[in-house]
Amino acid sequence: MKNKWNNHLKGYVRIEIVGQESSSFINTCLQSGIQIWDIKPIDGKRVEVSISVPDVQRAKALLKQNKLKIRIKDKKGTPFLLKKMWKRNGFIMGMVSFVFILFLLSNMIWNINVVGANPKTEYELRKAAFEIGVKKGKFIFLLPNVREIQRQLTEKMGNVTWIGVTQHGTSYRFEVVEKEIPKEKKVTGPRHLVATKQAVIHSLFVEKGQPVVAANDYVKKGTLLVSGYIGKEKKPELVSAKGKVFGEVWYESKVEIPLNTSFQTYTGKFKNRHYVSLFGLNIPIYGFSDGEFQDKTETLNESPLYLAKWKMPFSYIKKEIRETDGVKRSYTKKEAIQVGKKMAKKELLKKLPVDAKIKGEKVWQQKVSNGKVKLTMLYQVIENIASEQPIPIQQGE
Amino acid sequence: MGKLRQQVSKWMMQNLDLPADVVMDLPRITMIGQLHIYIENHRGVKAFSNEQLKLKLKQGTLVISGREFVIKTILPEEILLEGSISSVEFENE
Repeated sequence: MKNKWNNHLKGYVRIEIVGQESSSFINTCLQSGIQIWDIKPIDGKRVEVSISVPDVQRAKALLKQNKLKIRIKDKKGTPFLLKKMWKRNGFIMGMVSFVFILFLLSNMIWNINVVGANPKTEYELRKAAFEIGVKKGKFIFLLPNVREIQRQLTEKMGNVTWIGVTQHGTSYRFEVVEKEIPKEKKVTGPRHLVATKQAVIHSLFVEKGQPVVAANDYVKKGTLLVSGYIGKEKKPELVSAKGKVFGEVWYESKVEIPLNTSFQTYTGKFKNRHYVSLFGLNIPIYGFSDGEFQDKTETLNESPLYLAKWKMPFSYIKKEIRETDGVKRSYTKKEAIQVGKKMAKKELLKKLPVDAKIKGEKVWQQKVSNGKVKLTMLYQVIENIASEQPIPIQQGE
Repeated sequence: MGKLRQQVSKWMMQNLDLPADVVMDLPRITMIGQLHIYIENHRGVKAFSNEQLKLKLKQGTLVISGREFVIKTILPEEILLEGSISSVEFENE
């Protein structure tokens, strides 16, 4: 068996020997140490024989002695295969260049992703990466390794804390953590604090400035609360007044609560039906019953398919059928007022700033008409009423 | 002399448990069904055709007949024949 592979490797020829004395030829070959195999008689005169390439010349000499004719029928083995392949060298070149190009392309940068950076930083990062040589179409093996890139980029970029560089095949990914530079405090000019609305002062917390009002004072909108002038009366100093002034403010809100309402609620039972829509024709593919619900709502979800930017004439449709239930709710007058109060409070809290507190509430008016309870509520709210008012700086002072 | 040697060989084979083909220079023939026949210790090809292979032996001739014969391998002392073998005969002159 070992011989066979050897012969394939070195190459062998299949020859036809024409003449009477084939058996004597076989014997002479054996005696002179020429290897022959696969001896196949075709008819009385002709024999087909395999013989290795280096032995062919010697065999030819022997055949001449025996007065036999020789005809080469086939050439087999690697040397001949290679020759044959060389004839189609374009094909081989194509194969080789394909592998080569594939190799090159798979070693190129195709994509650079930047994650976690704002547009400005991203632009700067891309520019810095470009300078290092990380750009589309560059060969990855010509670039420094990921760690080195990371180090260089972190050095170049001043306004980032950390850059993580990872390479996924042909794409690079930069993860950026930006430095958070604390905002500078606004330098505020000299100012007063004035009231934003009509209120009764509840309490004051003044950080800077000279309070002008005291607790339980009644103020109108625009009344000066905290003055920006401090110090002696003759030589006042200007400061930026700062502080909180809490005042009691009254709010009025009106609500209407119907005594009887009917709702539609979902019972939770549902059925899905799936369709494939072809040229506007809906073909059901799954789910064939409507669920036999008494009351139901149906929703259609169509998801069309796109090829590039063209909408395809087929789409997938999901139809959801939900069972609904009619519910009637009725309140007594007392209940309605309770609900109304809650609703009004909720509404009010939405409008108020976060630090406001509701101190008290009163039902101002209540009326029942047309099956509705109408409520007018009054709320006593404590909230910050101070707002800044800049002091114009006079020339020459 | 030859006869004496033969007798010694025969005695050795029978009494010393030595394989006959080694001691007496006889052909060893291995057959795999009808497909293959493998002959060791032959002395050359006498005649070869599609249907018959005659092999010289030390004594006499081995005639193998059948159909579609192909000599797969041939070495100075070994031969592997492939085909459909129908009979193996010994001919003594």
